[in-house]
Amino acid sequence: MNLFAGSEEKTNRAIIIAIVVMMVVVAGGVLLVSAPASRLLGESAYSIRSAFHGLFAGVLMVTITIGMYQAFRLWTGIPINMKELGMGSVVNAAACFLTILFGNWLYIPYRAQGGPRFYFLEKAPEIHKIFFEFKEFGALFTLPLLVAATYIIWQYGEKLNANKPLRMVVALLLTLGFFYFLVAFGLGAAITKLKAA
Amino acid sequence: MNLEKKGAAQAAFLSAMFGCLTLALVNVGTEMSEAFKNWVHWVGKLWIPGAQGIGPYSGKETFMLVGWLLSWLVLYRLLRNREWNNALVLAIFLVGIGVATTLIWPPVFMHLAGHH
Repeated sequence: MNLFAGSEEKTNRAIIIAIVVMMVVVAGGVLLVSAPASRLLGESAYSIRSAFHGLFAGVLMVTITIGMYQAFRLWTGIPINMKELGMGSVVNAAACFLTILFGNWLYIPYRAQGGPRFYFLEKAPEIHKIFFEFKEFGALFTLPLLVAATYIIWQYGEKLNANKPLRMVVALLLTLGFFYFLVAFGLGAAITKLKAA
Repeated sequence: MNLEKKGAAQAAFLSAMFGCLTLALVNVGTEMSEAFKNWVHWVGKLWIPGAQGIGPYSGKETFMLVGWLLSWLVLYRLLRNREWNNALVLAIFLVGIGVATTLIWPPVFMHLAGHH
């Protein structure tokens, strides 16, 4: 009887996964044939690296916001599924790394002769000298903070639920990561609006 | 490693702070000295693809990584089976992050470097 129930559960899960995959394929197919990809990416010679930097920053915005919610739960002591938190924290740290990686690549045209840096230094130097410089350093702070949070979650696992000081440390790391991300994301978006690479 | 102790976690978050602080201090140094800035850029060019275009920022990233990972290794070896007073370690962490954040605020590092 138990064996039968287990098999039924597996079948239901397989059906749900198949439906989700089918929906993604259909949505992707419609997007592929109908969306003007060139308009989506923009006409700049650096559109691909800009798109990936923005894509991973967008993913990070989602995962880090979930991280903030988890930080609140860790702080207040609401029991958490550590496997779920562990997986989320890895995605969070990976998205952070990839955002920085593509940001580095995008920094080359930003600094190039005639690029946005030159434009800002000529027209409004404080945009580069204050806001961009603060953004580029603050953005880097997110990586060690989020990796440290991920490491503690994976290393201590279920022990975290009963360890209030460590729960609070992880909550603090996720909150600080969120803060530096928000500064970098907000200033990055504003600078892109003012002058794209 | 003794997971009943908080040492491994303390090593992780303290080293994150050291990484941020290293970045902030190296940046102040590059603003103070042109020769140091060129050397930092040279370090970045040793291993980061496209570092010529990225500029001294590539070297600053390198020093942040080295400061972070090296301090993690040292602290991990020190703390894996023990722990320091958590409140004290947390206070050091917060002060360090606060100092690093202040030092990366451009008006502050420009002032320290004597660019008014």
